[in-house]
Amino acid sequence: MLAIRDVVGGYEDIQVLRGVSLDVRGGEIVGLLGPNGHGKSTLLKAIAGVHPATGGSIRFMDEEIIKAPPHRIVEAGIAYIPEERHLFSDMTVLENLQLGAYSRTARPEFRRNLELVFDVFPRLKERQRQVCMTMSGGESRMVAIARGLMSGARMLLIDEPSIGLAPSMKKAVYGAILRINQDAGITVLLVEQEIDYALRLTSRIYMMKRGAVQFERPSGEASVDELKEAYF
Amino acid sequence: MDAILSAAWSGLVVGGLYATMAIGLTVIYGVSHVFNFAHGHVAVLGAYVAWLAITSVDVPLGVGIAVAVVVMAVFGWILHQVAIRSLLRRAEWAFATLLFTLGLAILMEWGMLEVFGPRVKSIPVFIEGEADLGPVTVSLNDVALVILAVVIIVALWTFLNRSSLGRAMRAVATSVSGARIVGIDIDRIYGATFALAFGVTAISGVLLGTKSFMTPHIGWEWMIKGFIIVTFGGLGNVPGAIVAALVLGLIETFVTLQLGTLWVWPAWLATFIIALWLRPQGILGGRTA
Repeated sequence: MLAIRDVVGGYEDIQVLRGVSLDVRGGEIVGLLGPNGHGKSTLLKAIAGVHPATGGSIRFMDEEIIKAPPHRIVEAGIAYIPEERHLFSDMTVLENLQLGAYSRTARPEFRRNLELVFDVFPRLKERQRQVCMTMSGGESRMVAIARGLMSGARMLLIDEPSIGLAPSMKKAVYGAILRINQDAGITVLLVEQEIDYALRLTSRIYMMKRGAVQFERPSGEASVDELKEAYF
Repeated sequence: MDAILSAAWSGLVVGGLYATMAIGLTVIYGVSHVFNFAHGHVAVLGAYVAWLAITSVDVPLGVGIAVAVVVMAVFGWILHQVAIRSLLRRAEWAFATLLFTLGLAILMEWGMLEVFGPRVKSIPVFIEGEADLGPVTVSLNDVALVILAVVIIVALWTFLNRSSLGRAMRAVATSVSGARIVGIDIDRIYGATFALAFGVTAISGVLLGTKSFMTPHIGWEWMIKGFIIVTFGGLGNVPGAIVAALVLGLIETFVTLQLGTLWVWPAWLATFIIALWLRPQGILGGRTA
């Protein structure tokens, strides 16, 4: 579904991505692990087009998207859910969801996607009239994921969905991601710091270090110790 | 008592006109963070376009307004496409757009002087006559102006809150990063915002033209008034701009009644300074759109 080859990119003088290659197949949840500052988030931004890569190839459903602007990538079926969320904080939950369905391809599917979102996040259905800036960190994270789903995406890029959340909220967010994958068949590429959570949720993981993939493992065969070691 | 009532009514009329004039300025700032120093001249040019249509082709005032709206909306869209868009990509975009719009204002002022000449022009009123409402007598044209101002404000509010494009404009105003990841084409929204704001501003120019005189130079006065209104109301804040316009309109007519027209500018500036001193974020706080 997603094929990334030799992607390079970075910020001004600093090269962050030094030839990343990885694949995500339809229906998978793939985890992207690795120490901070080694290019995981930068890779997601490059796929989403919000911080374009400078070289290599990113193909989604057999179409080259490396030079496509973000709105074309959303239309192609990829939704990016950044760690910073970037919600429309002075608007209601419902308005955020309506904006999630802004793209041409998402509008006809609005009702169906809204049903899916309220099914996965019943709490958001209760609070659809609430203004986002008054919500807790966990609820905001749910709105961010829900807004991504509203685009009718076939693939979600989720950056650190659990960071800074209380354990119960973490479980709720992970449960939701699992349901999105299993019930709606949406593919997920996930950046995660917490190794044990990542292994339970994903089917495969990539270890990223110094801007490239160091190794790949099926999650069932990876050991926490081996992964922890790779961080250093 | 009658004098106070009629000053209050006049303040409402003038404030309503200022509100329609300032909305375009604050919407552009809220969405794109460009402060358009040519804003007053956009209003004046809109009024001249309507005047030209009315006097040369002899169309009714309503048609003249429609022509002005279309012409100025297209002008706003083109201005964004050919100039503002590339300026916004620069690291020094804030300074670049400031100098650009200032230069544009001067260019428009002297361009209009070449085309339309220095003589004072005025636009015919919507409706002649007066209505006697007991203690005060109001001109029917003022009533028409207030109704139009309310219609424009309600229409704009509905557009921003209920339509998909309007919601996208508010989204860009709140978070450009958020707008980008939900698939909003930012350039397209900026272009649409310039078109919308220039169109609304053209109407306000025509309305101001029916109320007062116009020359190619009056744009500066309107721009400075617009600047004070939107800063007082909170930059980018539409409800704030409306409240500020009404307050300043009332101040203007009461100062005129009590002290004379010479004191209008000092009163505006004093209000502005006091407001900035007490509430630098504007009367309605830091919220946008």
